[in-house]
Amino acid sequence: MKQVININFQGRVVPIEVTAFDLLKNYTESLNRHFANEEGKEEIINDIESRIGELFQERLTKGATCITDDDVKAVIKSMGNPEDFEAMDDTQSSSSSSSSSASQEQSSATSSIPTGNKRLYRNENDKVLGGVCSGLANYFNIDVVIARIIFVVLLFSGVGFLTYIIMWIAVPSSATVQIGSTRRKLFRDPDEKMIAGVCSGIGNYFGINAWIPRVLFLLPFLSFLSRWGHWGGLWDFGDVIRFTFSPTSLIIYIILWIVIPEAITTSEKLEMKGEKVDMNSIKASVMEEMKGVGKKASNFGKEAAGTINEKARSMAGDVQNFSKRSRGGLGNVIAMIAKIFAYFIIGCVCFAFVMALIGLGIFSIGIFPLKDYVLRGSWQNFYAWGTLFLFIAVPIIAIITWLIRKIARMKNNSKILRLTFGSLWTIGWFCMIMLLVTVTRDFKASSSLDEQTVSLVNPQGNKLVVSSTLPFTKKYYGRNWIRFEPFENLVDEDTAFVRNVFVEIAKSPNDSFQVTMKKTSRGYSRADANNLASLIRFNIEQKDSILLLDKGIAINKVDKFRNQMVIITVYVPVGKQIRINKGIGWPVHIGTGNWDNNWNDDYYYDSEEDIRWQADVDYVMKADGLYTLDNRKADGWNDRYSKKTRNRNSGENYRYDEYDKKADSLRNIEEIKKQKKIDSIERAKEKLDSIKEKIENSGNGEPLSMHVWNVYDPMIGIN
Amino acid sequence: MRKGVLEFCILSVIKQGEAYPSDIIDKMKAANLNILEGTLYPLLTRLKNAALLTYRWEESNSGPPRKYFSLTEKGAEFYKELETTWFELANAVKALTDAEQEHSINNNFNTPE
Repeated sequence: MKQVININFQGRVVPIEVTAFDLLKNYTESLNRHFANEEGKEEIINDIESRIGELFQERLTKGATCITDDDVKAVIKSMGNPEDFEAMDDTQSSSSSSSSSASQEQSSATSSIPTGNKRLYRNENDKVLGGVCSGLANYFNIDVVIARIIFVVLLFSGVGFLTYIIMWIAVPSSATVQIGSTRRKLFRDPDEKMIAGVCSGIGNYFGINAWIPRVLFLLPFLSFLSRWGHWGGLWDFGDVIRFTFSPTSLIIYIILWIVIPEAITTSEKLEMKGEKVDMNSIKASVMEEMKGVGKKASNFGKEAAGTINEKARSMAGDVQNFSKRSRGGLGNVIAMIAKIFAYFIIGCVCFAFVMALIGLGIFSIGIFPLKDYVLRGSWQNFYAWGTLFLFIAVPIIAIITWLIRKIARMKNNSKILRLTFGSLWTIGWFCMIMLLVTVTRDFKASSSLDEQTVSLVNPQGNKLVVSSTLPFTKKYYGRNWIRFEPFENLVDEDTAFVRNVFVEIAKSPNDSFQVTMKKTSRGYSRADANNLASLIRFNIEQKDSILLLDKGIAINKVDKFRNQMVIITVYVPVGKQIRINKGIGWPVHIGTGNWDNNWNDDYYYDSEEDIRWQADVDYVMKADGLYTLDNRKADGWNDRYSKKTRNRNSGENYRYDEYDKKADSLRNIEEIKKQKKIDSIERAKEKLDSIKEKIENSGNGEPLSMHVWNVYDPMIGIN
Repeated sequence: MRKGVLEFCILSVIKQGEAYPSDIIDKMKAANLNILEGTLYPLLTRLKNAALLTYRWEESNSGPPRKYFSLTEKGAEFYKELETTWFELANAVKALTDAEQEHSINNNFNTPE
């Protein structure tokens, strides 16, 4: 049972089945698209349509009650079969070169079109998955097998996979050309659905069996069960691959479910399948037989150029009154320069954007193995995945897709692509913001545990040596290829090793060595932070004169990383020596031992540059601070680092100001003041002397007396 | 094949008298030259735009009015040019293929020795 409608086709009323009408409409639309750039397009289409109308009329007069699918298909077949035309096209262009004189002119004009405008298509006729390889092979004139081998090799490095998918999306299929399956739209297929028809819809869209996307979607769950990591070294390459095969596909499936409309009406179903109609024929024939049109087109071009020139001229005339001759040219030149400039700027911005995204992508892939140590709960994980895929990957893919479409000269910008990419990116933004918000919340509160005192036996000698050990055995010492401070290494599958240890050296109030340890952490609440801080295990061991500290803190996936930190203060009695071994791996710092003042929440020690302690050097504690054995003061502020920071500081950086403030508090303030006074008095004295000299030399004191007061150092007056 | 040849064929069909596109197809089919209608219409339009062809409308009782094509003067001239080119080409090809045949015959004679 089928619905029949009446249409007015070429002035005749034709009863036609709905499905047949859809077919016919598709066909005429594809014709329209096909001849879009053709001169006399209307006429050609009109001719074809009236011929179709005639054929319909024939059917109807023969006694058919209405036009059926078969009728339309027969008509379309008689109008042309694409494969035949393609074959014809090939032979024609190869033989055309031999024709001479009169026909040569036309053939040279026409034959250049199909060959010169070679475009990249996915080859639907020779494909394994999406026809990308055979399309590329066609385009570059190489053997398909070679292209496939290259891709398979690339696949193992993880790059090929993304490339293939991007090309699959971006490069139009050859079927597209045949009947503008640019019309082919992504719908969910309700007829062949397992859950929501997403996979079968994707299958329809790419012209592949629905089982291929289904398997791709299922793989993640299988992998989830069998844990790829257990397969050992085989999976060391490309984290990208592991991303592909993970439970995320569920999320993607759901998003696709939401985003992709279901094909409900017949025409939508047809659009979904993009019914192959034999249009290539017509296109090929149009292309190759542009007889005389070439000339006309160029004439038309000249005319158009003329009118445009005129318009530009009049516009330029309106805007500025230059001499008549130069106007048009100047206007054009200005427009051209502006255009080039604009393109350049846009290009730069796009390039920077893509590079930033790629950098961000690589970075996040690098630190992704660490996510379990930071993220708590499924929502944060979801946001993290969302950020990675939707916020970072989607725009990269979108821009690359766009570029490839540009390169492949696909002019029509697909609305679906734009919408999908746009909405996915919006979701990505949402994920990123939510991720930041929730993670920040987890770091909100700080702990408030008391300092613990570690009992220490006074060493036999005069010296205490601080050294460090790894708190674990090197069983699984997998080094991540990107280092993300303070994460040092993954110890095993669910323990990471964080280098958050700080050592401060201070003067002991009595005559024995003392060590205190403060554990700090962040958390979503103070209780949580305190709990996490108390869970920190940090070993301090003394072997006579050697003080062994753990190299870092182990963080596990259950308790998460909340910037747990251990601050060790070594109190050195006056007259005793201390030495820090090389390779302890964390910054050393000289302080007063007064943590609560110096180490407040906003002070965070994080860069190599901050280490202003020389390892492997003996220091001796004196009444006013640490000195090296050759009697240089080692307050940490005299060495090259602090000089560097001071020089470039000059008020630009908040943190350096902090340092300076701290420096003041760390130094013996009284002494500084004294020194300053002496300095300023001396300076003033020098100046006065020089002035005095000048006065004496000139013998005329009056005009110079003003300067004396200007130069006079106000410091003297104040102190 | 058939770059320019197709035009040549079409023009020669039309030269024999006014023709309707499906007539042209039929005639070419009869001569064992199968082309698709989809190619014919754009080709005719282009020839018409190049002022080689002209047409007139004729009412038909089985559908919309039909276009009957005929040659213009220019078209006739062009046809003559094509014709001479074609025969030049055909002769050249014939001469070559004949020579080829002779050669192969000679070869056949020669090989036994």
